Amino acid sequence: MFERNASQQAWRERILDFAASHINPLAMEREQTATFDRQLWLACGQLGLTGLSIPPEWGGQGMDAYTTVLALEALGFASEDPGLNFGIAAHLLAVAVPMWKYGTEEQHQRFLPGLCNGQAVGGNAITEETAGSDVFAMQTTATPQGDHYHLNGTKTYCSNGGEADLVLTYALTNPAKGFFGGISAFVLEKDQQHYGWSASREKLGLRTCPLAALLLKDSAVPVANRLGQEGAGGQIFNASMTWERICLGAIHLGAMDRLLKLAAQFANHRFSGGQNLSARQAVTHPLADLKVRLEGARLLTYQAAQQLDAGQRTGLAASMAKLAVSECYKHFCLQLMQLFAGEAYQTPHPVEIQLRAALGATLYSGTSEIHRNLVAREIGFKSALT
Amino acid sequence: MEDVKTTIKAFIQETFVADDQEQLSNDAPLLSSGIIDSISALELVEFLEKTFHFEFQPHEVDQENLDTITRIEAFVKTKKVA
Ligand SMILES: Cc1cc2nc3c(=O)[nH]c(=O)nc-3n(C[C@H](O)[C@H](O)[C@H](O)COP(=O)(O)OP(=O)(O)OC[C@H]3O[C@@H](n4cnc5c(N)ncnc54)[C@H](O)[C@@H]3O)c2cc1C
Repeated sequence: MFERNASQQAWRERILDFAASHINPLAMEREQTATFDRQLWLACGQLGLTGLSIPPEWGGQGMDAYTTVLALEALGFASEDPGLNFGIAAHLLAVAVPMWKYGTEEQHQRFLPGLCNGQAVGGNAITEETAGSDVFAMQTTATPQGDHYHLNGTKTYCSNGGEADLVLTYALTNPAKGFFGGISAFVLEKDQQHYGWSASREKLGLRTCPLAALLLKDSAVPVANRLGQEGAGGQIFNASMTWERICLGAIHLGAMDRLLKLAAQFANHRFSGGQNLSARQAVTHPLADLKVRLEGARLLTYQAAQQLDAGQRTGLAASMAKLAVSECYKHFCLQLMQLFAGEAYQTPHPVEIQLRAALGATLYSGTSEIHRNLVAREIGFKSALT
Repeated sequence: MEDVKTTIKAFIQETFVADDQEQLSNDAPLLSSGIIDSISALELVEFLEKTFHFEFQPHEVDQENLDTITRIEAFVKTKKVA
Protein backbone atom coordinates (compact mmCIF):
# COMPACT_ATOMS: atom_id res chain seq x y z
CA MET A 1 0.00 0.00 0.00
CA PHE A 2 2.81 2.42 0.86
CA GLU A 3 5.58 1.17 -1.41
CA ARG A 4 7.92 3.41 -3.36
CA ASN A 5 7.65 3.11 -7.12
CA ALA A 6 10.74 3.29 -9.34
CA SER A 7 10.53 7.04 -9.79
CA GLN A 8 10.09 7.63 -6.04
CA GLN A 9 13.04 5.37 -5.32
CA ALA A 10 15.16 7.18 -7.91
CA TRP A 11 14.30 10.49 -6.27
CA ARG A 12 15.32 9.12 -2.88
CA GLU A 13 18.69 8.09 -4.21
CA ARG A 14 19.21 11.42 -5.92
CA ILE A 15 18.48 13.26 -2.68
CA LEU A 16 20.76 10.98 -0.67
CA ASP A 17 23.65 11.64 -3.07
CA PHE A 18 22.99 15.37 -3.15
CA ALA A 19 22.91 15.66 0.65
CA ALA A 20 26.18 13.76 0.97
CA SER A 21 27.97 15.88 -1.63
CA HIS A 22 26.40 19.32 -1.17
CA ILE A 23 24.64 19.66 2.19
CA ASN A 24 26.57 17.67 4.75
CA PRO A 25 30.20 18.71 4.28
CA LEU A 26 29.70 22.12 5.97
CA ALA A 27 26.40 21.51 7.77
CA MET A 28 27.80 21.70 11.29
CA GLU A 29 29.74 24.91 10.62
CA ARG A 30 26.63 26.54 9.19
CA GLU A 31 24.61 25.45 12.22
CA GLN A 32 27.17 26.88 14.64
CA THR A 33 27.44 30.19 12.82
CA ALA A 34 23.71 30.37 11.99
CA THR A 35 24.50 30.78 8.30
CA PHE A 36 21.95 30.64 5.51
CA ASP A 37 23.85 29.65 2.35
CA ARG A 38 22.24 31.17 -0.75
CA GLN A 39 24.37 29.13 -3.16
CA LEU A 40 23.31 25.93 -1.44
CA TRP A 41 19.66 26.99 -1.68
CA LEU A 42 20.15 27.55 -5.39
CA ALA A 43 21.67 24.09 -5.75
CA CYS A 44 18.66 22.63 -3.88
CA GLY A 45 16.44 24.44 -6.37
CA GLN A 46 18.38 23.06 -9.31
CA LEU A 47 17.88 19.57 -7.94
CA GLY A 48 14.14 20.29 -7.72
CA LEU A 49 13.72 20.30 -3.93
CA THR A 50 12.21 23.77 -3.69
CA GLY A 51 9.37 22.96 -6.09
CA LEU A 52 8.66 19.28 -5.44
CA SER A 53 4.85 19.51 -5.47
CA ILE A 54 4.45 22.21 -8.12
CA PRO A 55 3.40 21.16 -11.66
CA PRO A 56 6.20 20.95 -14.25
CA GLU A 57 4.73 23.74 -16.37
CA TRP A 58 5.79 26.14 -13.61
CA GLY A 59 9.17 24.52 -13.10
CA GLY A 60 8.24 22.05 -10.36
CA GLN A 61 8.49 18.28 -10.13
CA GLY A 62 4.75 17.61 -10.18
CA MET A 63 4.73 15.34 -7.14
CA ASP A 64 1.52 14.54 -5.33
CA ALA A 65 1.43 14.96 -1.54
CA TYR A 66 2.41 11.34 -0.87
CA THR A 67 5.43 11.52 -3.20
CA THR A 68 6.36 14.88 -1.66
CA VAL A 69 6.32 13.16 1.74
CA LEU A 70 8.65 10.45 0.46
CA ALA A 71 11.05 13.02 -1.00
CA LEU A 72 11.09 15.13 2.17
CA GLU A 73 11.57 11.98 4.23
CA ALA A 74 14.67 11.23 2.13
CA LEU A 75 15.90 14.78 2.69
CA GLY A 76 15.38 14.48 6.47
CA PHE A 77 17.22 11.17 6.47
CA ALA A 78 20.15 12.24 4.35
CA SER A 79 20.69 15.86 5.27
CA GLU A 80 22.51 16.83 8.45
CA ASP A 81 21.17 20.38 8.23
CA PRO A 82 17.71 20.41 9.86
CA GLY A 83 17.45 24.19 9.43
CA LEU A 84 17.84 23.93 5.68
CA ASN A 85 15.40 21.00 5.55
CA PHE A 86 12.86 23.03 7.49
CA GLY A 87 13.41 26.15 5.37
CA ILE A 88 12.86 24.20 2.16
CA ALA A 89 9.74 22.48 3.47
CA ALA A 90 8.22 25.74 4.80
CA HIS A 91 9.00 27.52 1.50
CA LEU A 92 7.41 24.72 -0.51
CA LEU A 93 4.35 23.95 1.61
CA ALA A 94 3.32 27.31 3.07
CA VAL A 95 4.33 29.53 0.14
CA ALA A 96 4.72 27.76 -3.21
CA VAL A 97 1.78 25.34 -2.77
CA PRO A 98 -0.83 27.99 -1.86
CA MET A 99 0.45 30.22 -4.68
CA TRP A 100 -0.03 27.33 -7.07
CA LYS A 101 -3.43 26.33 -5.67
CA TYR A 102 -4.93 29.82 -5.43
CA GLY A 103 -2.90 32.00 -7.79
CA THR A 104 -4.05 33.27 -11.16
CA GLU A 105 -2.30 32.26 -14.37
CA GLU A 106 -0.45 35.57 -14.32
CA GLN A 107 0.65 35.02 -10.69
CA HIS A 108 1.79 31.50 -11.52
CA GLN A 109 3.99 32.85 -14.28
CA ARG A 110 5.37 35.61 -12.10
CA PHE A 111 6.07 33.71 -8.89
CA LEU A 112 6.33 29.95 -9.35
CA PRO A 113 9.35 29.48 -11.65
CA GLY A 114 11.66 31.38 -9.28
CA LEU A 115 10.31 29.55 -6.23
CA CYS A 116 10.90 26.22 -7.99
CA ASN A 117 14.36 26.80 -9.44
CA GLY A 118 15.86 28.20 -6.25
CA GLN A 119 16.26 31.78 -7.49
CA ALA A 120 13.65 32.92 -5.00
CA VAL A 121 13.27 32.10 -1.32
CA GLY A 122 9.72 32.08 0.04
CA GLY A 123 8.47 33.05 3.49
CA ASN A 124 5.06 32.72 5.11
CA ALA A 125 4.08 35.37 7.65
CA ILE A 126 0.88 35.12 9.64
CA THR A 127 1.82 34.99 13.35
CA GLU A 128 1.56 38.23 15.30
CA GLU A 129 2.43 39.25 18.84
CA THR A 130 -1.13 38.66 20.03
CA ALA A 131 -2.09 36.12 17.37
CA GLY A 132 0.00 32.96 17.65
CA SER A 133 -2.07 29.87 18.30
CA ASP A 134 -5.06 32.12 17.96
CA VAL A 135 -4.18 33.34 14.45
CA PHE A 136 -7.76 34.46 14.15
CA ALA A 137 -7.03 37.34 16.52
CA MET A 138 -4.89 38.90 13.80
CA GLN A 139 -4.67 42.71 13.78
CA THR A 140 -2.70 43.52 10.64
CA THR A 141 -4.91 45.42 8.24
CA ALA A 142 -5.00 45.87 4.47
CA THR A 143 -6.89 48.98 3.41
CA PRO A 144 -7.79 49.34 -0.26
CA GLN A 145 -6.74 52.57 -1.98
CA GLY A 146 -7.17 52.63 -5.74
CA ASP A 147 -5.34 49.70 -7.27
CA HIS A 148 -3.34 49.02 -4.10
CA TYR A 149 -3.88 47.86 -0.54
CA HIS A 150 -1.99 49.53 2.29
CA LEU A 151 -0.80 46.99 4.82
CA ASN A 152 -0.10 47.87 8.43
CA GLY A 153 1.07 45.57 11.19
CA THR A 154 3.90 43.34 12.38
CA LYS A 155 4.27 39.62 11.73
CA THR A 156 6.48 38.37 14.52
CA TYR A 157 7.92 35.14 13.13
CA CYS A 158 8.66 34.48 9.50
CA SER A 159 10.90 31.53 8.70
CA ASN A 160 13.29 32.37 5.86
CA GLY A 161 12.46 35.97 6.82
CA GLY A 162 15.14 38.47 5.89
CA GLU A 163 16.30 36.22 3.05
CA ALA A 164 12.85 35.81 1.51
CA ASP A 165 12.26 37.23 -1.97
CA LEU A 166 8.54 36.46 -1.87
CA VAL A 167 6.46 36.58 1.29
CA LEU A 168 2.94 35.27 1.58
CA THR A 169 1.21 37.27 4.26
CA TYR A 170 -2.30 37.74 5.57
CA ALA A 171 -4.20 40.85 6.64
CA LEU A 172 -7.70 41.94 7.59
CA THR A 173 -9.60 43.45 4.71
CA ASN A 174 -12.87 43.43 6.63
CA PRO A 175 -12.22 43.51 10.38
CA ALA A 176 -15.95 43.22 11.16
CA LYS A 177 -16.05 39.74 9.62
CA GLY A 178 -12.85 38.52 11.27
CA PHE A 179 -11.15 35.37 10.09
CA PHE A 180 -14.00 34.09 8.01
CA GLY A 181 -14.41 36.37 5.06
CA GLY A 182 -12.44 39.20 6.64
CA ILE A 183 -8.88 38.13 5.86
CA SER A 184 -7.05 38.26 2.55
CA ALA A 185 -3.73 36.85 1.40
CA PHE A 186 -1.02 38.95 -0.25
CA VAL A 187 2.29 38.26 -1.95
CA LEU A 188 5.08 40.71 -1.16
CA GLU A 189 8.01 40.93 -3.56
CA LYS A 190 11.45 41.99 -2.44
CA ASP A 191 12.45 45.35 -3.96
CA GLN A 192 8.97 45.87 -5.40
CA GLN A 193 7.02 46.72 -2.26
CA HIS A 194 8.09 48.77 0.69
CA TYR A 195 8.31 46.67 3.82
CA GLY A 196 10.99 45.84 6.37
CA TRP A 197 12.52 43.03 8.39
CA SER A 198 13.68 42.96 11.99
CA ALA A 199 17.19 41.72 12.64
CA SER A 200 17.36 37.95 12.21
CA ARG A 201 16.38 36.35 15.52
CA GLU A 202 18.82 34.15 17.40
CA LYS A 203 17.21 30.82 18.05
CA LEU A 204 17.78 27.57 19.87
CA GLY A 205 17.67 25.28 16.87
CA LEU A 206 17.15 25.33 13.09
CA ARG A 207 19.83 27.98 13.13
CA THR A 208 20.55 27.82 9.39
CA CYS A 209 16.98 28.90 8.67
CA PRO A 210 16.66 32.63 9.31
CA LEU A 211 13.70 33.87 11.35
CA ALA A 212 12.67 37.53 11.38
CA ALA A 213 9.70 39.79 12.00
CA LEU A 214 8.02 41.34 8.98
CA LEU A 215 7.34 45.04 9.44
CA LEU A 216 4.48 46.52 7.45
CA LYS A 217 4.01 50.26 7.66
CA ASP A 218 1.71 51.70 5.04
CA SER A 219 3.17 49.12 2.68
CA ALA A 220 1.44 49.52 -0.66
CA VAL A 221 0.73 46.18 -2.31
CA PRO A 222 -0.91 46.06 -5.76
CA VAL A 223 -4.31 44.40 -6.05
CA ALA A 224 -2.59 42.13 -8.60
CA ASN A 225 -0.61 40.66 -5.66
CA ARG A 226 -3.69 39.56 -3.71
CA LEU A 227 -3.89 35.79 -3.74
CA GLY A 228 -7.46 34.58 -4.23
CA GLN A 229 -10.47 36.77 -3.80
CA GLU A 230 -10.85 39.32 -1.07
CA GLY A 231 -11.88 37.46 2.07
CA ALA A 232 -10.39 34.14 0.97
CA GLY A 233 -7.28 34.41 3.17
CA GLY A 234 -8.61 32.28 6.03
CA GLN A 235 -9.26 29.33 3.79
CA ILE A 236 -6.02 29.77 1.86
CA PHE A 237 -4.10 29.72 5.12
CA ASN A 238 -5.96 26.65 6.36
CA ALA A 239 -5.27 24.80 3.12
CA SER A 240 -1.57 25.67 3.27
CA MET A 241 -1.41 24.48 6.88
CA THR A 242 -2.99 21.18 5.89
CA TRP A 243 -0.16 20.60 3.41
CA GLU A 244 2.43 21.75 5.92
CA ARG A 245 1.08 19.67 8.79
CA ILE A 246 1.08 16.53 6.70
CA CYS A 247 4.24 16.90 4.63
CA LEU A 248 6.68 18.88 6.75
CA GLY A 249 6.82 16.17 9.40
CA ALA A 250 8.34 13.88 6.78
CA ILE A 251 11.70 15.57 7.34
CA HIS A 252 11.41 14.55 10.99
CA LEU A 253 10.52 10.97 10.08
CA GLY A 254 13.68 10.82 7.98
CA ALA A 255 15.74 12.37 10.76
CA MET A 256 14.50 9.74 13.22
CA ASP A 257 15.44 6.94 10.81
CA ARG A 258 18.96 8.33 10.68
CA LEU A 259 19.14 8.75 14.46
CA LEU A 260 18.04 5.15 15.00
CA LYS A 261 20.90 3.97 12.83
CA LEU A 262 23.32 6.10 14.81
CA ALA A 263 21.89 4.76 18.06
CA ALA A 264 22.36 1.14 17.01
CA GLN A 265 25.93 1.79 15.86
CA PHE A 266 26.73 3.55 19.11
CA ALA A 267 25.16 0.95 21.39
CA ASN A 268 26.76 -1.92 19.47
CA HIS A 269 30.21 -0.51 19.96
CA ARG A 270 30.14 1.17 23.34
CA PHE A 271 31.10 -0.99 26.31
CA SER A 272 30.11 -0.51 29.90
CA GLY A 273 30.56 -3.01 32.73
CA GLY A 274 32.02 -5.61 30.37
CA GLN A 275 29.09 -5.61 27.96
CA ASN A 276 28.17 -3.52 25.02
CA LEU A 277 25.18 -1.26 25.58
CA SER A 278 23.11 -3.21 23.05
CA ALA A 279 22.98 -6.09 25.50
CA ARG A 280 21.15 -3.99 28.06
CA GLN A 281 17.42 -3.86 27.85
CA ALA A 282 17.40 -0.57 29.73
CA VAL A 283 19.04 0.80 26.57
CA THR A 284 17.25 -1.12 23.84
CA HIS A 285 13.65 -1.24 25.11
CA PRO A 286 13.01 2.51 25.11
CA LEU A 287 14.39 2.62 21.58
CA ALA A 288 12.25 -0.32 20.51
CA ASP A 289 9.23 1.54 21.87
CA LEU A 290 10.25 4.66 19.97
CA LYS A 291 10.66 2.64 16.78
CA VAL A 292 7.07 1.42 17.14
CA ARG A 293 5.92 4.96 17.78
CA LEU A 294 7.87 6.19 14.76
CA GLU A 295 6.24 3.65 12.46
CA GLY A 296 2.80 4.66 13.77
CA ALA A 297 3.57 8.31 13.08
CA ARG A 298 4.82 7.39 9.60
CA LEU A 299 1.61 5.53 8.81
CA LEU A 300 -0.50 8.47 9.97
CA THR A 301 1.54 10.75 7.71
CA TYR A 302 1.33 8.49 4.65
CA GLN A 303 -2.38 7.97 5.17
CA ALA A 304 -3.07 11.70 5.57
CA ALA A 305 -1.02 12.43 2.42
CA GLN A 306 -2.97 9.90 0.42
CA GLN A 307 -6.24 11.36 1.72
CA LEU A 308 -5.08 14.79 0.61
CA ASP A 309 -4.24 13.38 -2.83
CA ALA A 310 -7.67 11.79 -3.00
CA GLY A 311 -9.25 15.20 -2.48
CA GLN A 312 -10.69 14.31 0.89
CA ARG A 313 -10.91 16.85 3.68
CA THR A 314 -8.00 16.05 5.92
CA GLY A 315 -8.05 18.49 8.82
CA LEU A 316 -8.20 15.83 11.50
CA ALA A 317 -5.81 13.44 9.75
CA ALA A 318 -3.33 16.31 9.34
CA SER A 319 -3.58 17.21 13.02
CA MET A 320 -3.07 13.63 14.14
CA ALA A 321 -0.07 13.13 11.84
CA LYS A 322 1.52 16.42 12.90
CA LEU A 323 0.99 15.72 16.59
CA ALA A 324 2.29 12.15 16.38
CA VAL A 325 5.39 13.00 14.36
CA SER A 326 6.48 16.07 16.28
CA GLU A 327 5.97 14.58 19.75
CA CYS A 328 7.73 11.38 18.69
CA TYR A 329 10.64 13.42 17.29
CA LYS A 330 11.05 15.34 20.55
CA HIS A 331 10.97 12.22 22.73
CA PHE A 332 13.25 10.43 20.33
CA CYS A 333 15.92 13.10 20.57
CA LEU A 334 15.68 13.25 24.37
CA GLN A 335 16.10 9.48 24.56
CA LEU A 336 19.10 9.60 22.24
CA MET A 337 20.69 12.34 24.30
CA GLN A 338 20.42 9.98 27.28
CA LEU A 339 21.99 7.16 25.29
CA PHE A 340 24.88 9.14 23.82
CA ALA A 341 25.31 10.95 27.15
CA GLY A 342 28.46 13.11 27.40
CA GLU A 343 29.33 12.66 23.75
CA ALA A 344 26.09 14.26 22.52
CA TYR A 345 26.06 17.02 25.12
CA GLN A 346 29.07 18.55 23.42
CA THR A 347 28.41 20.79 20.45
CA PRO A 348 28.24 20.27 17.61
CA HIS A 349 26.90 16.73 17.66
CA PRO A 350 24.16 15.28 15.39
CA VAL A 351 22.01 14.37 18.39
CA GLU A 352 22.10 17.77 20.09
CA ILE A 353 21.48 19.51 16.74
CA GLN A 354 18.40 17.34 16.17
CA LEU A 355 17.24 17.80 19.78
CA ARG A 356 17.34 21.58 19.44
CA ALA A 357 15.48 21.32 16.14
CA ALA A 358 12.91 18.91 17.59
CA LEU A 359 11.91 21.30 20.37
CA GLY A 360 10.56 23.65 17.70
CA ALA A 361 8.57 20.94 15.96
CA THR A 362 5.88 20.83 18.64
CA LEU A 363 5.43 24.61 18.31
CA TYR A 364 5.23 25.56 14.63
CA SER A 365 2.35 24.57 12.30
CA GLY A 366 0.10 24.60 15.37
CA THR A 367 1.34 23.64 18.83
CA SER A 368 0.70 20.16 20.20
CA GLU A 369 -1.96 21.59 22.50
CA ILE A 370 -3.90 23.02 19.56
CA HIS A 371 -3.80 19.69 17.73
CA ARG A 372 -4.88 17.84 20.89
CA ASN A 373 -7.79 20.26 21.15
CA LEU A 374 -8.86 19.27 17.65
CA VAL A 375 -8.56 15.57 18.33
CA ALA A 376 -10.41 16.00 21.63
CA ARG A 377 -13.22 17.73 19.79
CA GLU A 378 -13.39 14.86 17.34
CA ILE A 379 -13.73 12.43 20.24
CA GLY A 380 -16.74 14.43 21.32
CA PHE A 381 -15.43 16.63 24.15
CA LYS A 382 -17.43 19.72 23.41
CA SER A 383 -15.73 22.16 25.73
CA ALA A 384 -12.24 21.37 24.49
CA LEU A 385 -11.93 24.64 22.63
CA THR A 386 -13.93 27.00 24.75
CA MET B 1 -35.85 21.86 2.36
CA GLU B 2 -36.74 21.63 6.06
CA ASP B 3 -34.54 18.56 6.28
CA VAL B 4 -31.51 20.67 5.34
CA LYS B 5 -32.17 22.98 8.25
CA THR B 6 -32.82 20.07 10.60
CA THR B 7 -29.63 18.32 9.57
CA ILE B 8 -27.55 21.46 10.04
CA LYS B 9 -29.15 22.25 13.35
CA ALA B 10 -28.68 18.76 14.70
CA PHE B 11 -24.99 18.79 13.76
CA ILE B 12 -24.36 22.15 15.38
CA GLN B 13 -26.36 21.27 18.47
CA GLU B 14 -24.58 17.95 18.91
CA THR B 15 -21.10 19.09 18.02
CA PHE B 16 -20.72 22.57 19.38
CA VAL B 17 -23.28 23.33 22.07
CA ALA B 18 -21.74 22.23 25.33
CA ASP B 19 -24.95 22.41 27.36
CA ASP B 20 -27.28 19.66 26.12
CA GLN B 21 -30.27 21.47 27.60
CA GLU B 22 -29.69 24.64 25.59
CA GLN B 23 -31.78 24.78 22.39
CA LEU B 24 -30.41 26.92 19.59
CA SER B 25 -32.71 29.22 17.70
CA ASN B 26 -32.35 29.40 13.94
CA ASP B 27 -31.24 33.01 14.11
CA ALA B 28 -28.82 32.79 17.01
CA PRO B 29 -25.42 34.14 15.96
CA LEU B 30 -22.93 31.28 15.89
CA LEU B 31 -19.58 32.77 14.90
CA SER B 32 -19.91 36.28 16.24
CA SER B 33 -21.17 34.92 19.59
CA GLY B 34 -18.38 32.35 19.90
CA ILE B 35 -20.72 29.30 19.98
CA ILE B 36 -18.65 28.18 17.01
CA ASP B 37 -15.05 29.27 17.32
CA SER B 38 -12.65 29.68 14.46
CA ILE B 39 -11.41 26.10 14.52
CA SER B 40 -14.86 24.57 14.88
CA ALA B 41 -15.98 26.61 11.88
CA LEU B 42 -13.66 24.48 9.76
CA GLU B 43 -15.41 21.39 11.06
CA LEU B 44 -18.71 22.94 10.09
CA VAL B 45 -17.38 23.62 6.58
CA GLU B 46 -16.17 20.02 6.27
CA PHE B 47 -19.52 18.74 7.47
CA LEU B 48 -21.50 20.88 5.02
CA GLU B 49 -19.31 19.90 2.09
CA LYS B 50 -19.54 16.20 2.88
CA THR B 51 -23.24 16.16 3.70
CA PHE B 52 -24.52 18.33 0.88
CA HIS B 53 -21.91 17.41 -1.76
CA PHE B 54 -20.51 20.76 -2.79
CA GLU B 55 -17.28 22.66 -2.33
CA PHE B 56 -16.84 26.01 -0.68
CA GLN B 57 -14.78 28.49 -2.67
CA PRO B 58 -12.21 30.01 -0.30
CA HIS B 59 -14.01 33.39 -0.18
CA GLU B 60 -17.34 31.73 0.60
CA VAL B 61 -16.14 30.63 4.03
CA ASP B 62 -17.54 33.86 5.26
CA GLN B 63 -19.37 34.94 8.36
CA GLU B 64 -22.16 36.18 6.13
CA ASN B 65 -22.83 32.63 4.97
CA LEU B 66 -22.20 30.87 8.25
CA ASP B 67 -23.32 33.02 11.14
CA THR B 68 -26.78 31.56 11.76
CA ILE B 69 -28.58 28.34 10.94
CA THR B 70 -30.90 30.30 8.65
CA ARG B 71 -27.98 31.79 6.73
CA ILE B 72 -26.23 28.45 6.42
CA GLU B 73 -29.38 26.87 5.07
CA ALA B 74 -29.80 29.70 2.54
CA PHE B 75 -26.20 29.34 1.42
CA VAL B 76 -26.47 25.55 1.07
CA LYS B 77 -29.59 26.05 -1.04
CA THR B 78 -27.76 28.41 -3.42
CA LYS B 79 -24.99 25.86 -3.82
CA LYS B 80 -27.42 23.04 -4.43
CA VAL B 81 -29.26 25.02 -7.07
CA ALA B 82 -26.03 26.12 -8.80
C1 LIG C 1 10.90 27.52 14.70
C2 LIG C 1 9.65 28.30 14.46
C3 LIG C 1 9.35 28.73 13.19
C4 LIG C 1 8.20 29.47 12.94
N1 LIG C 1 7.95 29.92 11.68
C5 LIG C 1 6.86 30.68 11.44
C6 LIG C 1 6.60 31.18 10.13
O1 LIG C 1 7.34 30.93 9.18
N2 LIG C 1 5.52 31.95 9.94
C7 LIG C 1 4.66 32.25 10.96
O2 LIG C 1 3.69 32.96 10.71
N3 LIG C 1 4.87 31.77 12.21
C8 LIG C 1 5.95 31.01 12.48
N4 LIG C 1 6.18 30.52 13.75
C9 LIG C 1 5.27 30.88 14.82
C10 LIG C 1 4.42 29.72 15.31
O3 LIG C 1 3.43 29.42 14.39
C11 LIG C 1 3.88 30.10 16.69
O4 LIG C 1 4.97 30.12 17.58
C12 LIG C 1 2.82 29.16 17.18
O5 LIG C 1 1.66 29.28 16.42
C13 LIG C 1 2.49 29.41 18.64
O6 LIG C 1 2.20 30.75 18.88
P1 LIG C 1 2.90 31.53 20.09
O7 LIG C 1 4.36 31.28 20.01
O8 LIG C 1 2.42 32.93 20.04
O9 LIG C 1 2.39 30.82 21.40
P2 LIG C 1 0.95 31.02 22.10
O10 LIG C 1 -0.12 30.87 21.11
O11 LIG C 1 0.98 32.23 22.92
O12 LIG C 1 0.89 29.75 23.04
C14 LIG C 1 1.60 29.68 24.29
C15 LIG C 1 1.24 28.32 24.93
O13 LIG C 1 -0.17 28.28 25.21
C16 LIG C 1 -0.74 27.15 24.57
N5 LIG C 1 -2.08 27.49 24.08
C17 LIG C 1 -2.44 28.60 23.39
N6 LIG C 1 -3.75 28.55 23.07
C18 LIG C 1 -4.23 27.40 23.57
C19 LIG C 1 -5.49 26.75 23.56
N7 LIG C 1 -6.55 27.30 22.95
N8 LIG C 1 -5.60 25.55 24.16
C20 LIG C 1 -4.52 24.97 24.76
N9 LIG C 1 -3.30 25.53 24.81
C21 LIG C 1 -3.15 26.72 24.22
C22 LIG C 1 0.19 26.84 23.41
O14 LIG C 1 0.06 25.49 22.99
C23 LIG C 1 1.54 27.12 24.02
O15 LIG C 1 1.95 26.04 24.81
C24 LIG C 1 7.32 29.77 14.01
C25 LIG C 1 7.62 29.31 15.30
C26 LIG C 1 8.76 28.58 15.53
C27 LIG C 1 9.04 28.08 16.92
